[in-house]
Amino acid sequence: MQASFQRVSWIARVTFLEAVRQRFFAFLLILGAAMALSSVSFRVLDFGHGELKFIADFGFGGMFLFGSVLAVVMTAQLFFSEMDNRTALTLLAKPLGRGEFLLGKFAGAWAVLGVFVAVLAGLLGAVLWAREQELLLLAEQAGKVPPTFSAAGLAQFALLQWLRLGVVASIVLAISAVARTFLYAVVVGALAVVAGQLQWIAQDAILKPSESPAYEAVLWCTSRLLPNLQQFNIGDALVLGTTGVPADAVGAVAMAGAAYMAAYVFLGALLFKRREI
Amino acid sequence: MTAAISVRHLTKDFRVGLRGLKLRAVDDVSLEIPRGQVYGLLGPNGCGKSTTLKIVLGLVSATAGEVSILGCPSATPEARRRTGFLPEAPYFHKFLTGRELVRYCAQLSGVPSADVAAAVEDALGLAAMTDAADRPIGTYSKGMLQRIGFAQAVVHDPELVILDEPTAGVDPVGSAAIGRMIHAMRGKGKTIVLCSHLLGQVEQVCDRVAIMDRGKLVLEGRVDDVLSRRDRHVLTVESMSPAAREAAEATLAAHGAVVTSVTHPRRSLEDLFRELVTGSRDA
Repeated sequence: MQASFQRVSWIARVTFLEAVRQRFFAFLLILGAAMALSSVSFRVLDFGHGELKFIADFGFGGMFLFGSVLAVVMTAQLFFSEMDNRTALTLLAKPLGRGEFLLGKFAGAWAVLGVFVAVLAGLLGAVLWAREQELLLLAEQAGKVPPTFSAAGLAQFALLQWLRLGVVASIVLAISAVARTFLYAVVVGALAVVAGQLQWIAQDAILKPSESPAYEAVLWCTSRLLPNLQQFNIGDALVLGTTGVPADAVGAVAMAGAAYMAAYVFLGALLFKRREI
Repeated sequence: MTAAISVRHLTKDFRVGLRGLKLRAVDDVSLEIPRGQVYGLLGPNGCGKSTTLKIVLGLVSATAGEVSILGCPSATPEARRRTGFLPEAPYFHKFLTGRELVRYCAQLSGVPSADVAAAVEDALGLAAMTDAADRPIGTYSKGMLQRIGFAQAVVHDPELVILDEPTAGVDPVGSAAIGRMIHAMRGKGKTIVLCSHLLGQVEQVCDRVAIMDRGKLVLEGRVDDVLSRRDRHVLTVESMSPAAREAAEATLAAHGAVVTSVTHPRRSLEDLFRELVTGSRDA
């Protein structure tokens, strides 16, 4: 067990090093950071919402958009670079299980996504704090209630986003395990993200009575097989909400994310076992 | 003692195209590779030798037949723990240094943590890569890549080493260095399976050879046995005058022998090259 853990951690370590050296990672990190930092400049376009909400939404958007692109493209790229460059031949000829290999690739990719989310959440927190201090002074002068944000809520949101990106990365790895080309894995992975964002439609529909058992079966399968990625989008309530979100609700979302991640990595390992290298 | 590799009635079909037509890459191959020998697996491109090796290593599944390594079913972690593999035209993560790569492979191969440093130094020394071990792999020449590939294959001190085209694209000096590594491994009692197109090198280093063609095994045996022509003899003579030659031919004819050719012995171009190009150890 310990030896297996060591092998997985070595694969993860090299995968992480490979990923953080990629220009693609740096490019998306810079874009995401620029979006979070520039939100202050765009706050005049707040559509009537509070300034802090606008800044937070801008940051959440960057995290979601660039994080999703990174999770899909980078994860597929890290897998296919091993296949196409045939480094997988050298590694899998060693006493390394295919499941260990795939788990190591996932852990390395997820660690990179963790760095991405942490940097963006840190920058967003700094921007929110700076603007909050300015608004506090203005509110005091005007005798109004100042807007605030929750740093702890932002940390919780960042963790949930990390889990969400982990779910996406695990889905992409499972697809990559059977895909013949990088492009196929990226396109199907991107479609899976879109389907996950729309999965709540299936969940809503299943609650309504239907006369067709086949229709119900399709809805049931869709609502179970695909994770509901929308459930991770509770940033407004966590960061700006006055009442917060109950801890058990956050825990339930985190548990669902962890379960989907484990299930998709397991599925990927099963599929990868049958792949000819 | 069990064979290093035992292959029985191995067949591999690949499905190609949308209609799933079968392409037979390996066709009912059976062979036994004894322990402690250098074994050459030869054949033209596409003859099935790389597929056979991949099946042996568990990277590809067989359609039919059985393969075992050192008595263990191949494709099990235990079999791979006792095997080292250098793939054809190896490619490694360019950002790692040679030492980092060999350490990485040692960890994956199950070398105990306390022994990793010593095992890495031994493997680098055997591959003559100690001096370049701290350079990134991206700066290595083809020959150095093959040598660092050799080091990662032997870092866990395997009983069986499989080398797929270890000298492809390497100049004769580098090729000779790899030949010396193979000799060193044989000296330690290891079994080496060498897949190569360089027939001269195979002839020099291998004890036994097998030749594959179109997925089938067409010849297998000891190198001396398969190459010797027992009905022909070679005499090498110095300072022979025309008269002496005539006399010798007459004597041989008197005993019923037929002289089919008289030529001057030649060095091989490879020998001449290696004799002239000395000192350059870096291929």
